[in-house]
Amino acid sequence: MLVIKNLKASINNRDILNGLNLKINPGEVHAIMGPNGSGKSTLANVLSGKNGYKISGELKYQGENLNDIPVEKRAQKGIFLAFQYPLEIPGVNTNNFLKTSLNTIKKAKGEKEIDTIAFLKLVKEKAKELGIDEKILSRQLNVGFSGGEKKKNEILQMKILDPSLIILDETDSGLDIDALKIIADGVNSSRSKDKSFLVITHYQRLLDYIKPDHVHVLSEGKIVKSGSSELALELEKKGYKKIN
Amino acid sequence: MIDNFTISNKEIEKINFINQDDKEFRIKNLEFFNQNGFPSKRDEDWKFSDFREILSKNFKNISINNTYPDEKNFRLINDFDHNFILLINGRFIRSDFKFEEKKKIKIKEIESDKISRDKSENPLVCLNNALFNNGFILEIEKNYKLEKVLIIYNLFSDDLSDHILNNRNRVILNENSQLHTIEYTINKSKNKFINNSYENVLLKENSILKNISIQASKSDGYFYKFSNNKLKSDSQYVNFILSSGLKFNKQDIKVDLEGKNSECNIKSALFLDNGDHQEIKTRVNHLVPDCKSFQKIKSVLESNSKGIYQGKIYVKDIAQKTNAYQLSKALLINDNAEFNSKPELEIYADDVKCSHGSTSGNVDENSVHYLMTRGLTKQEALLLLINGFLNEITSEIKSDTIKKFVEKKLEFQINGY
Ligand SMILES: Nc1ncnc2c1ncn2[C@@H]1O[C@H](COP(=O)(O)OP(=O)(O)OP(=O)(O)O)[C@@H](O)[C@H]1O
Ligand SMILES: [Mg+2]
Repeated sequence: MLVIKNLKASINNRDILNGLNLKINPGEVHAIMGPNGSGKSTLANVLSGKNGYKISGELKYQGENLNDIPVEKRAQKGIFLAFQYPLEIPGVNTNNFLKTSLNTIKKAKGEKEIDTIAFLKLVKEKAKELGIDEKILSRQLNVGFSGGEKKKNEILQMKILDPSLIILDETDSGLDIDALKIIADGVNSSRSKDKSFLVITHYQRLLDYIKPDHVHVLSEGKIVKSGSSELALELEKKGYKKIN
Repeated sequence: MIDNFTISNKEIEKINFINQDDKEFRIKNLEFFNQNGFPSKRDEDWKFSDFREILSKNFKNISINNTYPDEKNFRLINDFDHNFILLINGRFIRSDFKFEEKKKIKIKEIESDKISRDKSENPLVCLNNALFNNGFILEIEKNYKLEKVLIIYNLFSDDLSDHILNNRNRVILNENSQLHTIEYTINKSKNKFINNSYENVLLKENSILKNISIQASKSDGYFYKFSNNKLKSDSQYVNFILSSGLKFNKQDIKVDLEGKNSECNIKSALFLDNGDHQEIKTRVNHLVPDCKSFQKIKSVLESNSKGIYQGKIYVKDIAQKTNAYQLSKALLINDNAEFNSKPELEIYADDVKCSHGSTSGNVDENSVHYLMTRGLTKQEALLLLINGFLNEITSEIKSDTIKKFVEKKLEFQINGY
């Protein structure tokens, strides 16, 4: 699904990723943990295709070289990033945005576009699964949403757009226990042999719900240790310093 | 040619409903225009819109229009039931108020001897005073509230080319009456022309006028409109200016709040395309206590377009408890776009609430990025953001069918982007 070799990324003359290697097979869930500022969100941004980074190394997604593929094409090909800090976008109606997004992706895949009625039915169903109050979806995108609502809205988008490689950047931070379970259920029910997840988190707690196949520790822009889900437990006990 | 453009008195002779008094008034006004010519940036009111220069660049010849071809295959819009007035090149052709009690509505072609004779130093108003020969007078009886909206189809024929038109309309709402209008401009001409219009509105006690002005499509028209509004006690004036799509458009709106508790609301959502020039200039005069005025102007500007908002609020010394608010926001999509905002407050009363603000900025790159991570192309992302920016205004339109119609038109104009 995803192969990263010796990935280096810098921005504003600051080196953030310093030779990162990672391979994610279809159907796998990988967790990335690591101290603040170690480059986790940067990795997520680079994968999503954000402009402004100077990048070297190899990035392959489904066998295709990602380097020259722009952000919207990556999304259309099935890369999805749930943001650590989802943006508020005034004026843009949430449902309208979701529908536009879904139809653009469908079009790119050569599928038939969805009509409004079918779309609303789909949203309603998915929102219900995630315990999202439907009313917020007729509001402006993320504007005035609570922290939890914003995070749930990211997962709702994931559910609706049905991507193949899903990057969750600290989707668990700021969530209460119930919301955490709902989101974990949302992720677990989406797991399949042709979808892969990259879960960025600070907390072992999330990994109790979403069982990762592999756990990696990112430090100073490199993966310094990889292991099974036990590694997360170990980290929780000992902290990052000891691991290094 | 445009620099020393003058019009002969013979043009006044051609106007057929003249009496001596009227003729003298017209001649005096024409003299003023001929002495001053088209307004230029030397005139404080035209500081940001050098009309003379704009015309010089785009016109070689200008002549007075005298043709009014009937549009045999003119079709009403069928999005919703409505009354209508049809104007062709400004001339009142016909009207239909089939949804209303006929005797409550008076409509006729404008006559020259009943118009206001205010002295003006505005060359275009003077030119209009001198030469207007078309338009309508609409009067609504007291206590009558129209059932359906009135669309004023303002149609310009395809044979217009390098013409100037001078039109005048007058609307009177008697006590406790109510009227909603949509001024819908349809331009068949593929060529350049100038429309110089003057509108007189009188809102008597407790009456309500709500208007939306919008273009059917983009066009090469150069439009100036002076709108003179007088509001008596407890009356309300609401004007949505959504008239994107003209090469040049200046709306000069004067509102006199003459009666206590009267209220004026001016809202605008404009999309300025490559090379467009639009100005909204308002002057709201709070002349008595307890009146309110709100203005919110939102403009999106594409490359090489220019937008201007000059909003003046005047509060007379006796106009205590005035509540006046003014806000202008501009979204620049391109670095070559220019937006000027000049708020002006002139306040002589001490117990007033007055606020104004103005912002202008570029599209937020992070928002564009966020939308693109969901598969939207840059184009689609910008379109959503532009619509979102302007929808804040259109969402205030109460009728859903009209709102839909208006948003569709607006989107149509933005879509080319
Ligand atoms: N645009 C930028 N310009 C300069 N430095 C940046 C920029 N973006 C990120 N950085 C720096 O790069 C480092 C890594 O940032 P990043 O957001 O990837 O960390 P993170 O691992 O996600 O941290 P956290 O756990 O706090 O979310 C930080 O020190 C940050 O300040
Ligand atoms: Mg981060």
